[in-house]
Amino acid sequence: MAKVLEGPGMGLMKKWGINVPNYVVVTSVDELTKLGQANEWLKKSKLVAKAHEALGSRFKLGLVKVDLDFKAAEAATKEMIGRQVGSITVTQVIVSEMIPHKEEYYCAVKSTREGSEILVANCGGIEVESNWERVKRLELAIGQAPSADALEKLSKEAGFAGPLIKKMAEFAGKMFACFDNEDAQYLEVNPVVTRASDGELVALDAVTLLDGDAKFRHPDWNFAFAAEFGRAYSKDETEVMSVDSKIKGSVKFIEIPGGDTAMLPAGGGASVYYSDAVVARGGKLANYAEYSGDPPDWAVEVLTEKICSLPGIKNIIVGGAIANFTDVVKTFGGIINGFRKAKSEGKLKGVKIWVRRGGPREKEGLDAMRALKDEGFDITVFDRHTPLTDIVDMALQAK
Amino acid sequence: MSILANKDTYVVIQGGVAGVNAARRMAEFCYLIKRSLNVLAFVYPPDAGKSNEIPYGSGLVAVPVYKTIAEATKNHPQINTSLVYIGADRAMKGGMEALDDSHIKVVSMITEGVPEKDAKILGAHARKLGKVFNGPSSIGIVSAGSCRLGVIGGAFDNLVLSKLYREGSFGVITKSGGLSNEIIWICSQFADGITTAIGIGGDAYPGTDYVSYLEMFENDPQTKAVVIVGEMGGDLEERAAEWYGAKKRRIKLMAVVSGFCQESLPKGMKFGHAGAKEGMKGEGSARSKSDALKKAGAIVPATFGALGPAIKETYQELLKSGQVKEPVEPASLPKLPKSIEAAMKADEVMVTPLIRTTISDDRGEEPCYDGYPASELINKGYEVPHVIGLLWDKRLISKQDAEIVKRIMMLSADHGPCVSGAYATILAACAGIGLSQSVAAGMIMIGPRFGGAVTDAGRFFKYAVDNKMSVDEFLVYMKKNHGPVPGIGHRVKSLRNPDKRVKELVGYVKSLNIKTPCLDFALAVEQVTAAKKDNLILNVDGTMAAVLVDIGFPVDSLNGFFILSRTIGLIGHWVDQKRQDGRLIRLFDYLVNYAAPKRREVPPLK
Repeated sequence: MAKVLEGPGMGLMKKWGINVPNYVVVTSVDELTKLGQANEWLKKSKLVAKAHEALGSRFKLGLVKVDLDFKAAEAATKEMIGRQVGSITVTQVIVSEMIPHKEEYYCAVKSTREGSEILVANCGGIEVESNWERVKRLELAIGQAPSADALEKLSKEAGFAGPLIKKMAEFAGKMFACFDNEDAQYLEVNPVVTRASDGELVALDAVTLLDGDAKFRHPDWNFAFAAEFGRAYSKDETEVMSVDSKIKGSVKFIEIPGGDTAMLPAGGGASVYYSDAVVARGGKLANYAEYSGDPPDWAVEVLTEKICSLPGIKNIIVGGAIANFTDVVKTFGGIINGFRKAKSEGKLKGVKIWVRRGGPREKEGLDAMRALKDEGFDITVFDRHTPLTDIVDMALQAK
Repeated sequence: MSILANKDTYVVIQGGVAGVNAARRMAEFCYLIKRSLNVLAFVYPPDAGKSNEIPYGSGLVAVPVYKTIAEATKNHPQINTSLVYIGADRAMKGGMEALDDSHIKVVSMITEGVPEKDAKILGAHARKLGKVFNGPSSIGIVSAGSCRLGVIGGAFDNLVLSKLYREGSFGVITKSGGLSNEIIWICSQFADGITTAIGIGGDAYPGTDYVSYLEMFENDPQTKAVVIVGEMGGDLEERAAEWYGAKKRRIKLMAVVSGFCQESLPKGMKFGHAGAKEGMKGEGSARSKSDALKKAGAIVPATFGALGPAIKETYQELLKSGQVKEPVEPASLPKLPKSIEAAMKADEVMVTPLIRTTISDDRGEEPCYDGYPASELINKGYEVPHVIGLLWDKRLISKQDAEIVKRIMMLSADHGPCVSGAYATILAACAGIGLSQSVAAGMIMIGPRFGGAVTDAGRFFKYAVDNKMSVDEFLVYMKKNHGPVPGIGHRVKSLRNPDKRVKELVGYVKSLNIKTPCLDFALAVEQVTAAKKDNLILNVDGTMAAVLVDIGFPVDSLNGFFILSRTIGLIGHWVDQKRQDGRLIRLFDYLVNYAAPKRREVPPLK
């Protein structure tokens, strides 16, 4: 899943005929000033300015300003750009036309196991959350498009009346077209509003999640995907991501501030069980990491260096199940190099390392890890006969 | 018995290198259980018409590659299963092609990163046809004792350790490749092993769900219990729970679900497989899945670590109730033949090497010349002449000697189009022959009369110096035993028309104030011969030879200097002709003296 910020999200909706407010995304006040000279609506309409970043609760943070004239929008942009919120620096502001409206509605399309589901409600904004039973659904099998009749029926069920029945049905139909053609996994407009000037339905705010795996058939996806959990990626996370994009197999790394148990496990499935074991034992994860698919040793080495650099760690869990084809000697070679490098830089003082692994060339790999003891590492090594997550129990009991 | 794969499963693999690698792993399993290779064909259009060689035991099986599934199944009607290893952007087309073939009943997709929509279309299409679409992102399917599809089960040693050579009583369904091996291993340690283990794939919406497989296991009398390894996200586990709780089931269900850590991690964090994503409003969480499974009567250990003992307990109950009997292990199992490399590493065989080398080695991360890494030589300022020194004489020559070698190379790089070598190259180039062949044509001209006198010149000057001969003694010795002195004499140059190149080289070497006994002797010889006839001067070959012997190069390497430097010129001539599109050369009649008999009548054949 790949989250897309409001600007590109609105762009995709516009492409499929959904009315969206006029908007511009700028990275400086100068840019906005220039756009103001070229776009009438910026001078004529009331405006909304929002920090264009993957940030939760922007309103509370003062990163959303409404009812502005162009001058005020410039001032708001100036104030927002460069503001630091946690690990995120605001670099973009989206300035859009304010749409005066009375009624708010809700429309979404989401991926389901069999196909997709269109959701419509006759209420919108924060009202939807508390009135979830008012959301009506139309389920669609994969490859099936909604008929005009079915959409109108849905619209009626959701409580729309008069000309709005057809309007909402059409709006939902366009949402589905956008969802289906753009390989979306989740598309939500909340609220959908009736524009006072012409009575048309307009998408005011959009949540767009696309299927990153389908990027190969969308050459027009020229925007970056946003971080998915409300903060920007750290420098180390970005570096590991760039390694990941270059290699066969994969390396993944997410920092979790404040933890003391560092994770360096193998395999997408096992890694989560290792993290579960830490949490179940009352430990505090310092990160989530994983390598899999027989990555090259240098990539595992980079990952190891990042993990050794995490502040305040007490244990490193080098866990893993019995690999199918990941070469244990080679990948452990990368980890060992990373450990040595970290040690030579004065890191890993007082850090205990716990190893459990199986798979191709497991004996040689585990022997190489064991040999690190002679180099002064505090390392304990187990093989396949020790149950998967027992090293976590031992690590956390030992503290 | 088993589900999905058995002794009658025959496979076509769609894909290139990854598919061939999988076929090798499958061949290892076939060898272990003593069945013939179950991969009958590949479909990979770029290689269509060729075959892939798959090691089986100590032999090789050639498996044909076809352009389409239809061709593969037409030639091998036993094929009933396809494994898809092609890239994510073409995977759907490949999967469809396989599903639409009437011979194929099961398609298992190993490809990762397949768009969700494509996977759903494939899944729906398979259901419509009453077939199984497993995956994507599946590690494979293995039925103990009968069939392996893909790399599931890992390396050969692991197949043996996990007792996959014979059937047990536990079915396994997992989303994760590594964990499938872990569970298979646990089942073989704490119980009697598995019937079938299925990698369902780590994506959010795999083509098949747990329930379909649970139904199949329920109908397989050999399977007594099924272990599910689940994770947060989606609703496959809840559906499995619903199925299990709906009525009394023959099989016991055991399950673990990962993702409890999510409760104490930053919200929205994505980890694990693509399918492992946060559900809305608590649905799809590890906890709700575990609770649903428990409620339905499944055995759900608190941690992954507790799964082993739980499996053991279940197995003991099955034993006690007489539903299973202790398995009988076979007396012996086939051992995978070791490769020569592995056997040598283990000191088990000794091989007499075919050739011996003493100058270079490229087995490490870069080539070493006489032990020195090439990049280090470059970075420390060494140049081409030093590489020549290392490879031709196994020594690191001095800066001064390197300068001499460099000058020799430059002076002999090319001597115009009319000399034998260049002419032959041009002739070949104009006949449309390629670079290496044309250069080789010029190269074979090198011999005693053209550029190939360097070695002999060096040999005889050295002989004279070593034996302290006078010039006269030397000339007599040469006349009596060998003929004209190599390195002396020139076709166009003479005393009155001296060779600037020789003058230059001699002048430079002399200016260095080094000992040059051979050069001195050669010059003394020239004094005498040139006095007899003015073109009997010391030529470039002779000068090079004398100097190179003086700075210590072995006599046998000397022609090499000419060959190497003149290659530069020959390549130049070829490129030159190519660039100007030189036309085919035919010798003019007037350049030939036709000394053959005049036309006459052919006598009748007797």
